[in-house]
Amino acid sequence: MTFEMGEETREVQGTWDISTYKYLIDGAGMKLLVDSMKEKKIRGIKCPQCETVYVPGPTFCRKCYIDIDEVVEIGETGVVMSYAVEMADVRGNPLEEFRLTAMIKLDGADTWIIGTISGMDWHDARIGMRVKAFWVDEPVGSLADIDRFEAI
Amino acid sequence: MRNVGIIGVGYTPVFVSKRKDVNIPEMISEAVDAAFRNTKLTPDDIDAITFGNMQTFEGVNMPHLWAADHMRALDKPYMRIATGGTTGMSTLHSAYYHVASGLHDVVMAITWEKQSEGDSQVGLSGIVMPEAMVMVQHGMDLFGGKGMGAMGGGSTGAAAYQAMSYLHHSGADPEHIDKMAALERSNAALNPYAHLRKKTTVADIQATPFVSWPLRFGHTCPTSDGATVAIVASEEMVEKLADSVAWINGVGCATSDPATVNFIEGQITDPAEQEPARMASSKAYAMAGIKDPSKEIDMAEMYNGFAHQSLMWLEKLGLCKEGEAHKMLDAGALNIDGELPTNASGGVFSTNAIGASAMNRPTECALQIMRKIEGGHQIPKKIKNAVSHGWGGMFQYVTVTVLGDEPRHGQG
Amino acid sequence: MQRDIAIVAQAQVMTDSLDIPRERMLFDLVKGLFDKVGITRHDIDGFVLNSNDFEVGHTIANVFEDTPCGAYMKDETHVEADGMWAAQYTTMRLLSGNYDTALVVGNSSGASTFRPYLVMDYQLNPTYDRQLGILNELSTAALQARAYMAKYGAEEDDFNEIAARLLRNAALNPYAVRSKADATAGDVLASDYLYEPLRQLACYPFTDGACAMILASGKRAKELTDKPVWIKGMGNSVDTYYVGERDLATSKSARMAGERAYKLAGISNPAKQIDVAEVSAKFAYQEPIISEALGLFKEGSAGKVASKGLADLGGSMPVCPSGGGLGAYVFTANGLVRVAECVRQLKGEAGEAQVSGAKTALAHSQDGFCAQHNGVMVLSTEEG
Ligand SMILES: [Zn+2]
Repeated sequence: MTFEMGEETREVQGTWDISTYKYLIDGAGMKLLVDSMKEKKIRGIKCPQCETVYVPGPTFCRKCYIDIDEVVEIGETGVVMSYAVEMADVRGNPLEEFRLTAMIKLDGADTWIIGTISGMDWHDARIGMRVKAFWVDEPVGSLADIDRFEAI
Repeated sequence: MRNVGIIGVGYTPVFVSKRKDVNIPEMISEAVDAAFRNTKLTPDDIDAITFGNMQTFEGVNMPHLWAADHMRALDKPYMRIATGGTTGMSTLHSAYYHVASGLHDVVMAITWEKQSEGDSQVGLSGIVMPEAMVMVQHGMDLFGGKGMGAMGGGSTGAAAYQAMSYLHHSGADPEHIDKMAALERSNAALNPYAHLRKKTTVADIQATPFVSWPLRFGHTCPTSDGATVAIVASEEMVEKLADSVAWINGVGCATSDPATVNFIEGQITDPAEQEPARMASSKAYAMAGIKDPSKEIDMAEMYNGFAHQSLMWLEKLGLCKEGEAHKMLDAGALNIDGELPTNASGGVFSTNAIGASAMNRPTECALQIMRKIEGGHQIPKKIKNAVSHGWGGMFQYVTVTVLGDEPRHGQG
Repeated sequence: MQRDIAIVAQAQVMTDSLDIPRERMLFDLVKGLFDKVGITRHDIDGFVLNSNDFEVGHTIANVFEDTPCGAYMKDETHVEADGMWAAQYTTMRLLSGNYDTALVVGNSSGASTFRPYLVMDYQLNPTYDRQLGILNELSTAALQARAYMAKYGAEEDDFNEIAARLLRNAALNPYAVRSKADATAGDVLASDYLYEPLRQLACYPFTDGACAMILASGKRAKELTDKPVWIKGMGNSVDTYYVGERDLATSKSARMAGERAYKLAGISNPAKQIDVAEVSAKFAYQEPIISEALGLFKEGSAGKVASKGLADLGGSMPVCPSGGGLGAYVFTANGLVRVAECVRQLKGEAGEAQVSGAKTALAHSQDGFCAQHNGVMVLSTEEG
């Protein structure tokens, strides 16, 4: 007797227990940043060798490969290096309100952060445009203390 | 240094959204068998095997071990490579070095992904899982609704920022992305191993909604199930075993830093800068003895999860000057019968079984050089030199392979 | 081999409870290694990283490893298997002539980040074995231990003797996370069964850590160190996934991996020609299976080796003077650590665990259930 392999496919469920991970993450630079935000300031770390200013600051400079710890204050104004306008959600449904977000290089920093830009028609957005951070009334030491950026 | 050539390629019969009729090793073995069929080799001819995929996409740890029997790998040297989106080409490079080292003569590189069996969103978010959690703990609105949003860019992620930066610096218009997308989808329609195979016009692309300006739905890649296998051999064994060959004349790879959503250690890189592309391609060209790629390269296969990237990479890899790629597109130079046919296969943009995506670029070049293309996308002109490219990680990895119809003349 | 390749230097870090981020651990380790050798990251022309997505809980594990390992804007690739495969790949890249100075770094934070046995569960065929829930790291190991006992008449006490020796050796190794200077077979017997016949002290301790190594072409290696350790041979081989289809009392793939490495190294009588061996054994019982397959001892001789102390530090064929996998077992990096321990021996830097006059060493690695995949490297103090 022979057995002919027919077309039968079964599906079985499995999981990847990503929830069970206990990660250790370097939070020093992040803490420095949110602590400064409580005072409506933005602080990062500067490499004494190549003078790169990182926000938030890592514990070492990836270019010079040395430990770094010099705290520097940077500006709340900066330049839009690139931007995008969110128009649909993950499933492709159009958003009721479009969202203009940008990669911003704050004055005095060499790193880029991402921020939401409000108060302008997205059609007028440009790379190279200058923007300023606007703070919430009562900062608590959280990344949400910057409410929005606006063009200046 | 030893010369190494690709002597055969095997694909799964199709690249589609869901292969429900086979399990993971069964699916991969279809490509392995195809490679044997196409080369008339048997498992006994293979000295060693390299294997690559992104394991979190299926949730199987070290799947090469489970698949060993199906890969005809038993009793052979076996090596698993994983480098994100570049995995496919990194696995080919590993096979290359198995031979170039002088230790082995005939090596099989196996790459695949069966994305339908896993959760691609879990796989992707796993890249930054702990970092994202720390940002949330510190009050960040991850999706950028207000203030500082780490994952701004919407569901295309930072690709939209990359596209915008590319458009700004090159002088191209968003319509050029539509045009490139239509060209590649139409190329894919001719390729039996492509996933999205429908002749597509610019108007078709423009009818799709914007996800995140300047990127539309019609600019994004699918998720696919499929596998690709390449067999490489030393010059001596090429003579003995092969009826045709495409020489691997240059290889290169490079990394920068995680160039997006890197809110833990501060991001210092423009996602459209892609310095590793220059580094990896310079090395590969030097090995291959290519002095002016814009003149000496006859075809290009670029890794493009998003349609703007094909144009961007042509510039980063020195195939044209900055700001020229979209002009070449307008002039028809990137068409299959143009001066620099680009992604004649339809690209990653039309077929994306992630682990195999960066492998399908050099295998397409190899088959074009050998003139063994199945389907209607054989490039009419003779191909002497071809360049293929892979891209991955968090915008940080680039791999480059230069292939030729003759063994290399370069140094090193 | 078509070019002489040597290991310049090694560095290790291990802990049973990681209290700094993995990235910081890597920076400290690699930076320390560069400083020790007197080079910078710019002297490295190829970086090969090595880790596993499941263990560290990151898709594309190397994404956040590049910058701490010094690979920013450098040539980099990543092997996702035991670290010895990364070392072998690095050697191949150097052999090709395309690289001169390379760094290989293996790491895992699997012990503190993830439940270590679960990493193995995820290696199971997800459609059958994983659903069934019978096969796992310990149950397959118990089957293999029993297979060896049944075939060769070995006793649990033989394994306890092996474990005791490894725990004593681990006490001489500054990197070990578990050790007992005066361990006896009785101590091992007194520890609980994790899974009969596997006693807790005969099983690997969960370990986090990393291992980094600089490899170079012969000329470059001699510029960088007075004591290069030469790579004479290497090989690997894989068995069937299905444990039921293997003779678990022996290891075909370890034997074949050894034969491939010996052929390159010109070794015909490993028991005589090799002075010290570092074998990757997760459990005490695995050491005889593997070292016998590698030709270091006669088949089925665990009892005799243990009673005569042949594998002891002063024995005829010292195995794992570092304490091996029972002193510390960093998943993924473990095979790399075995290579590093051979380097310490051949450079004469092993302190109290030094095997006197060691000139030729063997390092072994494994992956998979019951060591499905085995790798071997043969190292020597002698060039050429
Ligand atoms: Zn610096």
